[in-house]
Amino acid sequence: MTHASTSPSADSADQTPAESTGRYPLLYLLGSSVLWLVVSGVFALITSIQLHTPSFLAECPVLSYGRVRAMAETSFIYGWIGNVGLGLALWILARLSGEKLRGANWVFVGALFWNLAVTVALGGLALGDLTSISMYQLPSYVQPLLFCSYGGIAVAGLLSWTGRRREMMFASQWYAIAALFLFPWLLSIAYVMLECSPVRGVLQAVVGGWYAQGLWTLWIAPLALTAAYYVVPRMSGKVIPAYDSAALGFWTLLVVGGWTGARHLIGGPIPAWISSVAIVMTVTLVFHYIVVFLNLRMALKGGSLSLGFVAIGLICYVAGGFVDALTSMRAYAAITQFTVYEDAQKLLALYGGASMMFFGALYFALPRLKGAAWSSGALIKGQLILSAVGILVTVLSLAAAGLVQGNALADAKVNFSDIAVQMRPYLLVASAGQFIILTSSLLLAVNFLKTVITCCCKSDSSKEGALAS
Amino acid sequence: MKNGSLFFLGLFAALGLAWVGIVVSSNAQIGSLAGYYDDTDSTSYPARPSGLAAQGALVYKDLGCASCHTQQVRRPGFGSDQDRGWGERQSVARDYIYQTSVQLGESRIGQDLTNLAGRKPSAPDQDDLLHMLYQGQGAMPSYQFLFETHKIQGEASSEALKLTGKQKPQSGFEIIPTTRAKELVAYLLSLNTTYDYPEAHPVAGAKGEGEK
Repeated sequence: MTHASTSPSADSADQTPAESTGRYPLLYLLGSSVLWLVVSGVFALITSIQLHTPSFLAECPVLSYGRVRAMAETSFIYGWIGNVGLGLALWILARLSGEKLRGANWVFVGALFWNLAVTVALGGLALGDLTSISMYQLPSYVQPLLFCSYGGIAVAGLLSWTGRRREMMFASQWYAIAALFLFPWLLSIAYVMLECSPVRGVLQAVVGGWYAQGLWTLWIAPLALTAAYYVVPRMSGKVIPAYDSAALGFWTLLVVGGWTGARHLIGGPIPAWISSVAIVMTVTLVFHYIVVFLNLRMALKGGSLSLGFVAIGLICYVAGGFVDALTSMRAYAAITQFTVYEDAQKLLALYGGASMMFFGALYFALPRLKGAAWSSGALIKGQLILSAVGILVTVLSLAAAGLVQGNALADAKVNFSDIAVQMRPYLLVASAGQFIILTSSLLLAVNFLKTVITCCCKSDSSKEGALAS
Repeated sequence: MKNGSLFFLGLFAALGLAWVGIVVSSNAQIGSLAGYYDDTDSTSYPARPSGLAAQGALVYKDLGCASCHTQQVRRPGFGSDQDRGWGERQSVARDYIYQTSVQLGESRIGQDLTNLAGRKPSAPDQDDLLHMLYQGQGAMPSYQFLFETHKIQGEASSEALKLTGKQKPQSGFEIIPTTRAKELVAYLLSLNTTYDYPEAHPVAGAKGEGEK
């Protein structure tokens, strides 16, 4: 199964049984994800402006900083990453199984309710149902709905996996199955321990930190790697080097990743061993990042635009892992903790790492799902350049702002008004970066829409002919 | 990796181990922490929050105050927490046992509020906090939607904010804090960790954890 060709017509002709049943549910997942990406980009821009100009939209309670920040995060993680990650994982599992996507109707129903749940969550956040736990900004009433609708989506992936023709499993399959299986566990444990019968005192922060880290290492990162491990060999036309070590990289992420959450609580009112364990584990996790880099490094040689996205994603993903390990050390953490430096790290991992891998795979998948090439190559190039510039500008300026903030906070003589003044120039640049990122997302949205609409109009008649034959 | 059920078991073990290792074991350690009874003044610490303060905690949560304010004074050696007068000791787990929704926070765009009402030499009072909420300060926006502008009928309200300069309302009008504003301020004034628990000080002579 080699799909090394990069010509658009060959892409759209590359059809397997997976597309026959999965086409519409998967297109629905991918389409909604792009919509949420734009929505979250708007919210992220608003919070970014509010950081340097606090009076911006301050008269409106619905758009106060804390709430918009929560909405930006939830629409990005559960809207964009949830939809695109699951859509691509299901498609890849079905393709690797060599069979049709089974349970496609369940996927559609699940996706419908998943998006409904995300919409209700955003409404709830706007009205103030915040949890104040990072990555877990979900009002308690949407969580059961998210949980059930997730079941509808994930069941198709599990069916593809259990019904696979080859007993042998590929790296993409490990990551996809791990992500599909572990998210419901994470969410239900968080729901029970934080909403149904909340644990006592600071343990809420421990559970929250464990959930947030689990969401990254056991769900988002595996979903992104599912996509990357699938598309990189196909786009570059080469086998994965050092593939033997891939399994070790996988198990390191899964076993070690869940322990690293409490590094954000360093110095806080929790037993010190929790954060000490987290620091050790964060450093151990570097091994995983090295393996991923070795496995996927041929993405860096380039070849096609979609491979360019994955290459940037790979660099950011690995860099993010190393920065995490460095800043978990107490000497660094004492400066960067509680500053916007942590926002820079989050952006580097979630947007630079995971999302760029998703973009690359999305550009690879859509022509095959839709049976037609992308409507505009220029828009793809535009998104690649703008998102790369946006990531670079935003991450660097936020990191600089964070270091300025951290050093000023460490000096008790500098008061908070002065800190705000010192940070302002960097935060202005970060807002410009967020604007560039939003523009790049809009290019994707336009291109997606044009591709889906034009080929719907064009292909309806020809498809009927094809089905008849 | 060919064996499906073994693979599944591995996934489950990976999640389960981290959960037991971090969540369950820390729960076993401090999950049933009780208040500290002080024989000398026959009182148990920390104090339970009053009804109004508990309401205010919900306002604090729903406005997302925790996205800019922390409520944790770190151990000595971590930053300038104590030099800034945020607290005379580090925060300990016992401080939080009666809080329904703990707001440790993750960002310090604004000040730490752990011990806002117990700060020395001078802690802000209700008036200061209402004014700050109305006017904003530095990186903090004004929360004018927590206040109402009323026409003065008869005698002016004793709750009206005493504002000067640009912020001063038109003559014949006054600015009154809403119930939510009053609850929020009552909550902020309940944030007090002045009581010294035995576990709140590192062992004498030991170096702070961040020190080299």
